[in-house]
Amino acid sequence: MNCEQYREAISGDPSFDGGAGHLGECSSCQAYRLEMKALDERILRALSLNVPELNMPELPEIETSNVVSLSSRRRFSPPAWFAMAATVVVAALIGIRFVGVDNRTLAEEVLAHLDGEPHALVVTDVEISDERFRSVVPARLASMDRSAGLITYAQSCEINGRDVPHLVIQGERGPVTILLMPEEKIPSALPLDGDTVHGVILPVGSGSIAIIGVREERLDLIEERVLKSVTWST
Amino acid sequence: MHSSKTAASRRQRFDEIVGVFHRDMYRYAAWLSRDKTIAEDVVQEALLRAWKSLESLRDDAAAKPWLLTIVRRENARYFERKRLETVDIDNLTASQAALLAEEPDDELDDMRQAIYELDDDYREPLVLQVLMGFSTNEIGEQMGLKQGAVLTRLHRARAKLKEQMVTA
Repeated sequence: MNCEQYREAISGDPSFDGGAGHLGECSSCQAYRLEMKALDERILRALSLNVPELNMPELPEIETSNVVSLSSRRRFSPPAWFAMAATVVVAALIGIRFVGVDNRTLAEEVLAHLDGEPHALVVTDVEISDERFRSVVPARLASMDRSAGLITYAQSCEINGRDVPHLVIQGERGPVTILLMPEEKIPSALPLDGDTVHGVILPVGSGSIAIIGVREERLDLIEERVLKSVTWST
Repeated sequence: MHSSKTAASRRQRFDEIVGVFHRDMYRYAAWLSRDKTIAEDVVQEALLRAWKSLESLRDDAAAKPWLLTIVRRENARYFERKRLETVDIDNLTASQAALLAEEPDDELDDMRQAIYELDDDYREPLVLQVLMGFSTNEIGEQMGLKQGAVLTRLHRARAKLKEQMVTA
């Protein structure tokens, strides 16, 4: 290791403890190391802003009966698509773009929600109970048979200020998010296209349904099944 | 009964985690946004998201990077939503300026100003390393960078700060 290499390493990471041989012989680099440590102390002081008192926001009630405990979560050896499924959360925020120009707000809401519920992407083959399903998709909202696929997650979630059913079915290549939005009317389908995910918000009568999965997923097949299985109650 | 117990336990877990890390959340948000008011908004949103997705935190030992990841996303979302322009360092708002004028200490002010003026690409890994104690590997994971790229950015960040301090 020479001086240049040592200095580059130490200025990238002042805790770098390699290059002991060089350091022992080079008084210039010894001085440089001390200089970097002093610089870091100043940086730390400058970064340590005063923090205002914690102002906890009003936290909504969470339906804890739907929370799957870690011990009961099924552990899978990760199939090839698992890593892609796990990246849905990030991709939804940074990788996805809106193909349509209208209803951007709704699309943003949908994606932001997806981003905020990564636990919805748990890989499992454990179907939710009928009771749970009925509580999340009540008859006053919609009737839905369970033919669309294996439903492994159901939660009532807020989109645009309205509680809507958030379901996850297991597709061929990973979990697929379904949001039933009976009151979100859109004029035409709103495709969503991302680096690792894709999806669509489909107009359905007086509402819409969002369907989002990993890029490799054949969503058209799922769309067809979902559309057949859902009827709005109003 | 069981449900309310579970809810209370969930809330307790959340409060404990937030109690330990809310300072880090705020400081990270403040240095990402370079604005105290925005930082407070971002932290509020991040707390809500963290609360809603608490089950995705499988190990409380990983709470810090988990929370900071949420803060990072909320900050990105905030700027996307507001379509904010890049901060003009010659025309700071009161909230932005407040970040630079915390204490009457010239040397500290100079350093804070220099950090403030760093490009986001350099400032963020520096905050994560010096303030949050992240390793270069962890910074790479947080920012989606390879370790070599992280080291290069940190090296350049320090070089710039050193240069600024000499000329200040």
